[in-house]
Amino acid sequence: MTHLIPTGVSSETLEKFILSLADDELILGHRDSEWTGYAPILEEDIAFSNIAQDEIGHSLVWLTLYQELTGVDPDSLVFRRPWKDFTCCRFVEYPKGDFGYTVLRQYLFDIAEQVRLESLLKSSFEPFVQIAQRLMKEESYHRLHAETLLERLGNATPESSRRMQAAADLAFPQSLGIFETMASENELIAGGVFKGNPGLEDDWLRIVRPSLAAVDLKVPVVSDDGMLKVTCAPENGGRAGRHTDHLRTLVDDLQKVYGLAPEAKW
Amino acid sequence: MDTQWETYEVFHQSKRGDPHEHVGSVHAPDPQMALQLARDQFARRMKCVSLWVVRTRDITATDYQDESFFAQVVDKGYRDPKAFEAPDKLEHS
Repeated sequence: MTHLIPTGVSSETLEKFILSLADDELILGHRDSEWTGYAPILEEDIAFSNIAQDEIGHSLVWLTLYQELTGVDPDSLVFRRPWKDFTCCRFVEYPKGDFGYTVLRQYLFDIAEQVRLESLLKSSFEPFVQIAQRLMKEESYHRLHAETLLERLGNATPESSRRMQAAADLAFPQSLGIFETMASENELIAGGVFKGNPGLEDDWLRIVRPSLAAVDLKVPVVSDDGMLKVTCAPENGGRAGRHTDHLRTLVDDLQKVYGLAPEAKW
Repeated sequence: MDTQWETYEVFHQSKRGDPHEHVGSVHAPDPQMALQLARDQFARRMKCVSLWVVRTRDITATDYQDESFFAQVVDKGYRDPKAFEAPDKLEHS
């Protein structure tokens, strides 16, 4: 299948961008799947397992587009790529942690995904428009699920407040890494592919800040003359291949069975 | 302290106009979450257009021990529509 790449955008930049979207979904989906059998209640166990499947399915959607552009098949990217070549943000690499951390990570990521997909709906690259329309349907349920848990756990009891605030202290600087500016990102902005990470981060802050405040969760953001400013350092590095060691462990795990018999047909 | 959430009975409708059918129950802290959790348990694989959830304790039910509640002493079989065929679906040409 041939896709028309917008003028002024190199195929390499576009491909890198697609891979980063796929990797975020794949790694977060894997982390969500680690709740299977362990979530605090059976119903959430099933809900998180479903969400894990959805995220990994979304990853496949991006990887399939990547394949159409490059000819590289999704399995080889997932099961044979060295862990250092992944381009996910560091945020999705961290172990699942406390259930409060998982809920907050899912919430912060789902809103980031929402603003990203909304931007792609207006993309000059036609496949992005179609994929965004498709994925938004499922993402809207993820968002509802995360918001519902956030509203109920944020300030329900002293214990839930304590655990959710601890999760926010940990997760917020990490989550800013979702919006790490990529090399050659200006090409994508100028070519109308998406609005760019700084713009997405601003859209995201305008949603998450009031929602977190509504359940008394504090994050280091100040409002200055209508502009929202983050007052902590973002945890960047993932997009440039500087990952946490947690990713190595995860990818080892993910590729272990495939590595036993790489040529096997399933 | 009992930390178990209460149960909600789940009713599933696969097509508009069809009856909602009881498919099981979920634990949930409130009706809104019960609906969401019911979606994950019961509406992901089966086609679904509508879900109902009802607090289990809000259902008033008969007691299995109380057989007399359903007792029929005289044979009223004559009232059963056995003498004619009543197909589920009417055929038309």
